[in-house]
Amino acid sequence: MSTTALPSNYSTNSATTASAWLKSWLLTVDHKRIAILYLISINVFFLLGGMAASMVRLELVTPQGDLMSADMYNRMFTLHGVIMVFFFLIPGIPSVLGNFLIPLMIGARDLAFPKLNLLSWYLYMGGGIFALCAAVFGGVDTGWTFYTPFSTSYSNSNVVLTIAGAFIMGFSSILTGLNFIVTIHKMRAPGLTWFRLPLFIWAHYATSLIQILATPVVAIALLLVAVERIWHVGVFDPAIGGDPVLYQHLFWFYSHPAVYIMILPAMGVISELIATFSRRRIFGYEFVAFSSIAIAILGFLVWGHHMYVSSQSVYSGLVFGFITMLVAIPSAIKVFNWTATLYKGSISYRTPMLYALGFIGLFVIGGLTGIFLSVVAVDIHVTDTYFVVAHFHYVMVGGTMMAYLGGIHYWWPKMTGRMYNEAWGAISALVVFVGFNLTFFPQFVMGYLGMPRRYHVYPQEFQIYHVMSTAGSSILGIGFIIPLVYLLLSLRYGKLAGDNPWDAPGLEWQTSSPPPTFNFATQPIVTEEAYAFHPEAAIRDAEAWQPGSPL
Amino acid sequence: MANARDIGHEGGHDREGSYGHIPVRTYWVVFSSLMVLMVLTVAAWYVEKHFVQLPEIVAVGIAMAIAIAKTALIIYFFMHVKVSSKLTQIFAVSAFVWLMILFVIVMGDYMARGWPPARGPLTQAPAPRAAAAPVSQGWRAL
Amino acid sequence: MATTTHDHVSGPALQHHYDTPGQQKEAATLGMWAFLVTEIMLFGGIFMAYMVYRWAYPEIWAAAAPHLNTPLATLNTVVLLVSSLTVALAVHAAEVGNKRQLVTLLLVTILLGATFLGIKFTEYGEKFAHCAGYASPLAWATGGERLGEAECLVPGKGFLFPVAAASAEGGAPAAAAADAAQPGMKSPHQLFFFLYFCATGLHAVHMVVGITVMSVIAGMAIRNKFSPAYFTPVEIGGLYWHLIDIIWVFLFPLFYLV
Repeated sequence: MSTTALPSNYSTNSATTASAWLKSWLLTVDHKRIAILYLISINVFFLLGGMAASMVRLELVTPQGDLMSADMYNRMFTLHGVIMVFFFLIPGIPSVLGNFLIPLMIGARDLAFPKLNLLSWYLYMGGGIFALCAAVFGGVDTGWTFYTPFSTSYSNSNVVLTIAGAFIMGFSSILTGLNFIVTIHKMRAPGLTWFRLPLFIWAHYATSLIQILATPVVAIALLLVAVERIWHVGVFDPAIGGDPVLYQHLFWFYSHPAVYIMILPAMGVISELIATFSRRRIFGYEFVAFSSIAIAILGFLVWGHHMYVSSQSVYSGLVFGFITMLVAIPSAIKVFNWTATLYKGSISYRTPMLYALGFIGLFVIGGLTGIFLSVVAVDIHVTDTYFVVAHFHYVMVGGTMMAYLGGIHYWWPKMTGRMYNEAWGAISALVVFVGFNLTFFPQFVMGYLGMPRRYHVYPQEFQIYHVMSTAGSSILGIGFIIPLVYLLLSLRYGKLAGDNPWDAPGLEWQTSSPPPTFNFATQPIVTEEAYAFHPEAAIRDAEAWQPGSPL
Repeated sequence: MANARDIGHEGGHDREGSYGHIPVRTYWVVFSSLMVLMVLTVAAWYVEKHFVQLPEIVAVGIAMAIAIAKTALIIYFFMHVKVSSKLTQIFAVSAFVWLMILFVIVMGDYMARGWPPARGPLTQAPAPRAAAAPVSQGWRAL
Repeated sequence: MATTTHDHVSGPALQHHYDTPGQQKEAATLGMWAFLVTEIMLFGGIFMAYMVYRWAYPEIWAAAAPHLNTPLATLNTVVLLVSSLTVALAVHAAEVGNKRQLVTLLLVTILLGATFLGIKFTEYGEKFAHCAGYASPLAWATGGERLGEAECLVPGKGFLFPVAAASAEGGAPAAAAADAAQPGMKSPHQLFFFLYFCATGLHAVHMVVGITVMSVIAGMAIRNKFSPAYFTPVEIGGLYWHLIDIIWVFLFPLFYLV
């Protein structure tokens, strides 16, 4: 195990004083450093959100409300939701992996607007501080959805503070999306046509489109809620003729596309992982690329499926339900293509691949239950129950979180120059998988049986499911902590990775690990298709495999 | 390495620089048109208010048509979209397309929903007005 | 130092991660357009609320809108349209390298923007003065003439829509408005005025940002930062200004020309 120092790279500098070193990181405009800043801050928020989740699950072990009062419980699950949605899932993969990899993957020296990139991070931190202040001052009890008129007229909690946090984070999201769009359009290396781009880029492009089109609408919705709360008059107040459901329309117009902001980058990561770890070009590349765009566009037309029981008209319900089923098609296309890629591939069960395979299974379950929910008749029965909770945790945690972890492991050697301990990686992937299913599968069952969400007191009959769920959540938590340990240890003790430890195609692997500040020594010129594996690569690699091979 | 930039630039800057030019005279013509349209919209309002009684949807329609015309002029000429790349034009248009998605679907829901109760759903006649005084007192009774 | 073999000519303000000035300009323009898309969607939310409530309560809109100061708003529209012209001409001046014209036009634009804000300030002042019981902002400041009949069009606890005057003019609008409201509703006219203050207020905030942007650009122009080869900030600053104008073009007929 070599622990020799890494060559000079983006993370080293010649700062001699502590303050100079601090400035070199806090005032950096290098997309790679900003990605690391995001990595640290996003993981911190994830831990905080996870702690809130632990409190929720602890309370739910018993049917009585013994650990915390109803009010406290409301604040706890709201904190969990706000932090996880706004400060982990939405920025997650784009800000960490996207920021680091997009310029590398397209052969550029940086993003289009490096200073704007830094501003994005500061806005993220600013928003986060507002949200944390709100939590410290007692939290907010409206649920992460801030439904009116409760949030505007009746709640006694720190609504405005939390909204300010989400509002500011929204601008961070918008600026990141803007940066990515311009970068992908204008800064590709010579020869890198659209259809030679890695699918990771296609996915982030689609995500960025959603970010710039959808986020402003929630910004204005939250702004109106804040104004109504401060001045005690507003457009969502039924007393003066307002309609609270208008808030829901505006909120979900963003928040549904927002879930595609969460999942599309994850799908991009999975495409990369599947290709590399089966040594094959992604089957149906163009279909997967276009399906990202299709998901982005169709995702804007389905928000009403969150409002079936909110007095939305039946006709709208039908239309939204139908289009929701349509939006599943591009996702299914991706899953089929990934599976087809695996077929006759030379499959390697390294940690990133374990996460990718887990993703496919869990995302299918999560996605299918989403289709169940899209049917108005079913949704009326299971809405606001744990069925919905299980559905979105399957896609968010079983989907996005697994892809995030898989991506971190896959590109860890590129970002840090070190390999992590593969045995521990595999163990934690399995722990996460087992813990996750134990946590959330019982929730499908109890939701169907009628357990409402956001309740901390429940009938005795549901306790067994809650106990299973909480037990699973502790295992899941362990599964999240273990990588923290071995990834951090690898920074000191990990094997030096070399430029391309996975023997993968892709421009990011053509430069050193970690890359130098300007990414490439000479401007790369692209002449090959994406995932330019030799057609026989899978067969050859399988035949030539020996212990110690890269994969 | 000089060849790096000669090779078929898919880097996105294949047509960099200017895409064309809008003469100054055009700006003045557009400006005059904008002023004329503004006068028209105020005049239409004045006429509709004092002389001709039009259904509200028509009056709003006229006002919006004029506003859209002004916007189109500003976007096309003042904002140089006429001489911009296809990409810029697509971005400019798509913003309004997305706005339409929001407007159409939400208004569709309101029209079909029966909210507010006085407006009623499309399939029903509006609830009959009670002629009795208590109703017309309404909120003023508070 | 950076291991690059980039033999590009460093033009004025060409940043390290771009290959050519043209690429940088295109990126900046596309970036600004993407940002304008977000601004359009932002105001779209308010226009959505407007659309819903105007559709729901047309009589209230008809009764409330005449209480806005249409002549002042018309003046504001003229001011903004002229400022759009000056911005377009300023970009042209930058294109041909005419520094004096560029600076003049930018300063005129800023002046027009400030005028717009001044007129808006007067409009708002009128509303708040009426709430305080005075006939005009000046009267409020000097303690002069009081308002004849009580009226407060600023939404909130003190909101008071002058129904008496309206029914004196012609009973139909106000009575119809009352009918449109449901029993138990408190002063639905607040919806109109709330949207008015929010929409025009948000617009005014953007105008302040626009003026700041223009001032920075004017400062750069004065310091000879621009040339026919590089005037990107002028161009993209202009794009932002035009958007502010477009938003007003819609706000004007929707609120003042009901």
